[in-house]
Amino acid sequence: MRISYNWLRRYIDLKTSPEELSLKLTSLGLEVEAVDYLGKELEGFVIGEVLDVQKHQNADRLKVCQVRVHKKQEPLQIVCGAPNVSTGQKVIIGLIGATVPHDQHDPSGKPFVLAKVAIRGIESSGMICSAKELGIGEDGAGIMVLDSKAEVGTPLAEYMGLNDVAFEIGITPNRPDCLNHIGVARDLAASYGKKYTLPSVILRENKKDPVSKLATVKVENTIDCPRYTARIIRNVKVQESPAWLKQLLTSAGLRPINNVVDVTNFVMLEYGQPLHAFDYDNLAQHTIVVKSAAKGEKFTTLDGKNHTLNGSELMICDGGKSVAIGGVMGGMNSEISSGTSTVLLESAYFSPTSVRKTAKKLGISTDASFRFERGIDPNITADASARAASLIAELSEGTIASGIIDVYPKKIENKKIILRTDRVNTMLGTTLTSSQIKKFIVSIGIHVSSGKVKGTFVCSIPTFRPDLEQEIDLIEEVARLYGYDNIENKTSSEVMFSKPDQKEQRTNSIRKWCESNGLNEIMTNSLIDRQTAQLFGKDLVAVRNPLSVELEILRPSLFSTMLQTVAFNYNHGASRVHCFEIGNIFSTDDSPAKNYVQGYAEKNMIGICISGTAHALSWHEKQRNVDIFDLKGLVLSLLNGIGLDNSNLIYYNAPSSLTEMTIGVEINGTYVGSIGKCPSNLLKKFKIEQDVYFAELDVEAIVAFDTAKKYKPFSKFPTVVRDVAFIVGKETPVGDIEHVIRTIGSSTITAVTLFDLFEGKTLGEGKKSIAFSISLNSIDKTLTEAEIDSVVSSVTGAVIKKFGATLRSM
Amino acid sequence: MLDQKINELQAEIDLRLPQITSTEELEKFRIEFLARSGKLAGLYEELKTVSKEQKPLFGQKINALKQSTETRFESLKSSILSSADRQALDVDITLPGRMIPKGSRHPITLTMEEMKNIFVSMGFGIVYGPEIEDDYHNFEALNFAANHPARDMQDTFFVKDDIVLRTHTTPVQIRTMKSRPLPIRVIMPGRVYRNEAVSSRSNYFFHQVDGLYVDKHVTFADLKGTLVTFAKNFYGNDIKYRFRPSYFPFTEPSLEMDITCFLCKGKGCRICKHTGWLEVLGAGMVHPNVLRNCGHNPEQVSGYAFGMGVDRISLLRYGIDDIRIFFENDIRFLNQF
Repeated sequence: MRISYNWLRRYIDLKTSPEELSLKLTSLGLEVEAVDYLGKELEGFVIGEVLDVQKHQNADRLKVCQVRVHKKQEPLQIVCGAPNVSTGQKVIIGLIGATVPHDQHDPSGKPFVLAKVAIRGIESSGMICSAKELGIGEDGAGIMVLDSKAEVGTPLAEYMGLNDVAFEIGITPNRPDCLNHIGVARDLAASYGKKYTLPSVILRENKKDPVSKLATVKVENTIDCPRYTARIIRNVKVQESPAWLKQLLTSAGLRPINNVVDVTNFVMLEYGQPLHAFDYDNLAQHTIVVKSAAKGEKFTTLDGKNHTLNGSELMICDGGKSVAIGGVMGGMNSEISSGTSTVLLESAYFSPTSVRKTAKKLGISTDASFRFERGIDPNITADASARAASLIAELSEGTIASGIIDVYPKKIENKKIILRTDRVNTMLGTTLTSSQIKKFIVSIGIHVSSGKVKGTFVCSIPTFRPDLEQEIDLIEEVARLYGYDNIENKTSSEVMFSKPDQKEQRTNSIRKWCESNGLNEIMTNSLIDRQTAQLFGKDLVAVRNPLSVELEILRPSLFSTMLQTVAFNYNHGASRVHCFEIGNIFSTDDSPAKNYVQGYAEKNMIGICISGTAHALSWHEKQRNVDIFDLKGLVLSLLNGIGLDNSNLIYYNAPSSLTEMTIGVEINGTYVGSIGKCPSNLLKKFKIEQDVYFAELDVEAIVAFDTAKKYKPFSKFPTVVRDVAFIVGKETPVGDIEHVIRTIGSSTITAVTLFDLFEGKTLGEGKKSIAFSISLNSIDKTLTEAEIDSVVSSVTGAVIKKFGATLRSM
Repeated sequence: MLDQKINELQAEIDLRLPQITSTEELEKFRIEFLARSGKLAGLYEELKTVSKEQKPLFGQKINALKQSTETRFESLKSSILSSADRQALDVDITLPGRMIPKGSRHPITLTMEEMKNIFVSMGFGIVYGPEIEDDYHNFEALNFAANHPARDMQDTFFVKDDIVLRTHTTPVQIRTMKSRPLPIRVIMPGRVYRNEAVSSRSNYFFHQVDGLYVDKHVTFADLKGTLVTFAKNFYGNDIKYRFRPSYFPFTEPSLEMDITCFLCKGKGCRICKHTGWLEVLGAGMVHPNVLRNCGHNPEQVSGYAFGMGVDRISLLRYGIDDIRIFFENDIRFLNQF
């Protein structure tokens, strides 16, 4: 909402500078988002006089003008294409360096900076401007010709009285009363402890011409239209508005159109009452009927758009047809035109819900619908109508028919709210007295009487404050007028412990562990396109109104978006991408499980993606690309790192539709996720030409396990290490052999480590050699040579028997 | 006669010792001077030629020379040997060390962590809620009436008529108030979504931290105190701040907190839209309707709530000019954190 400083001063005596006023408004909750010093845009434009006009020798339509812009300086030579330029005119000159607000030759009308140019070989030092180019009127056909009294050299801003400042105020939805100048003046007056004055309205009605004889109004839907009023102004001359009106509207950000429309806009910005002016002669039977639209009805709004209505819209109709969508927009068929001579002026109160539904459905938002949606004052309707009628009559030389048609079957009365002094203080932490509180409340136009209980008030809430619904709303008003800054910043001495949450702490340690181990944390989009999503999961959750088809589906796996990151970095020349992400994945889920929202499952996951070289280029290690064992080791180290013992972990071959070589990970019997290799079809789709390994684990699951540390005694006797090597079939899983060794020797074997693995011709076709280092000891004695040999031989015996292995001499 | 010889040998040693730079030269010197048949031993032989009375005097002189020579020789030897050791091992210590690769945490995580740490130290717990949320928790229970313009403040992604992607982390307040006994003192971090066009300054998803304190006798003054404590810890002790009345359907009275723009120090710049102030959070007293929706009697229980965006603050903290870079995940960007 743009509020003009000059306009405000019509209702309140303001001694403060615009800067101070801006701070004041913000402190009242009317946040000033920008301050616009209006003359600024017109810097570089001055009044000039055309001294001479000659035809351009190289162009029929152009003229070469000599223009004086300074009494003491040489005239400027300006080439001008306007048909109406002639000697003796006072015109507006854009000087070199000035920014012309609107380029008539550009389809989007972008501003441009004037430079000294040669037009068809003749030098031109400036521009004679049209109203449209300056953004101060609609006329772009010819240059703007000023009154002959205009003084040469006067800056345009000064000439136009544009010494105004406009405040761009972000009005929150609870303050519809401040969507107009009087409302803002009222709030300022309350805050400054001053008075504000309403405009005096003098209605010169033609007593011989009663409105009741000219028109009838019938409201069929009084729920959506609780009040409808009409006045008629006759013999109007539709013409340009006077300068004062155009200036104020321009300051407030509206473009002047004609005197009738300008007045309706002016009164809307003054009182907050949207008005609509109909051409009375276009209204069949001079009748207004307010009713719901017919289902399937077609209607063309003022902006030329066609709408098909569904029957829920509130329509303003005449004797035969619809002429406007109530509170939203008028129709083409009853628009005010230059030929209009009688105006029917609508001032009504439409229900906020009805207007909002219709405006939303039709995708229309107008200054009127914006105000009706938020709630205007239902009891300002007639005052605003009178104000507008008197102004229209004054500016258009019209006459006002006597009286007003006012259909208001059920008056909307002031609400009553009880306000308690002690309640104010317990909510705010203040020690305000009853009389202080009363003063604040009264200052914003609320009538207050004493309540039955001491220290309480009965507040009668004027209808311009629909947001004040209960006591707490009045408490906010007290706080606002007392000043938020005047309320103490209390730092409670009361101590409240919050036990650090295990899950939270462990999630943090996961992040820190990953960071310390060379992984970059990434954050990716949660939304992806359907085609990609289908590759990563089923039971997809779609957004019904996505920004684009690329952002339609909530990711079913972190892999989907992490692969995009790998591709992005790969395309930007990275040779090594090792990253992780902690984020949510989504699916539909009809099980009545522990889902927050019925039908949707959401899981917090950690994804780890590695691709490219295993380590940075170095002098001490040979470059190699990562493989599945890098990721397997990384994931298990991570789980160890956050306190999970290897003995809690089980991993196994787990065929997956998403990855190859997939390894499932279980903790204490609960599946928590998997590790695998990205299949080539996905690599192809993401245009990645190197292998990618991916793991995804359920964070909730891995942080849930108890990892309380408990000391386990270890042997004080020496540990003996023996190496054994076997030759087995190539396909024999090493893990199975290791498992057998551990199981057989469980009482004395403390560690089994694979330290050598190779295949070679010397071993024979289809064979491999594996070597383990086995550590043995006993908790209560030193093992004898014989005992050691016995364990080792039972282990080797079992392996030979079970896997058809042969022992290899070390 | 012997006196002269002693002096000559002293001079010779003084000349020779500083010239020694290698172990070979050391050995040569040792044999020539210090060995059993060396020149110093030769001087002791000469003692036999002097008179009995003069013997102790010359003896002392030769002893002193021998001792000082040995000391100097030993120290020279140890310095030459240690550098020889190095050469012997042939180690170039300018070679790069074996580095452990450096990872990083995301800048938004870092900002969020810092916020969490401050609130945890002030006695707040941490709770989470879902990103797919129902209309009841996201809007209705938070006092957003159906068909109220306040719903326009947050452009919403819909999954179904009554299922949305949460537009704020505030619905977690409802879930928490409905599931936990009083007093409640928690923060609620998480990702939220708005159906807004993506630009350098705004994204369709971002991160928030909401806070909630509900108990008996919680006041607006307590809220202000908490926010000031947070802001001073997070932005620095010397910041200037202001509170403005504002509007959120779920709080009343509501406020927004601004701090002096830390780029222009309040002078006005592009980032603060030439106002000198940066809006950093919104807050207020939990609306009585919200308390009632969660089964509390507003006459007996009161509370405050606050919420702040993490992404925009991270932009400012790290001097980043385009919000999209956060989610591009270029490792050249990530490696800077």
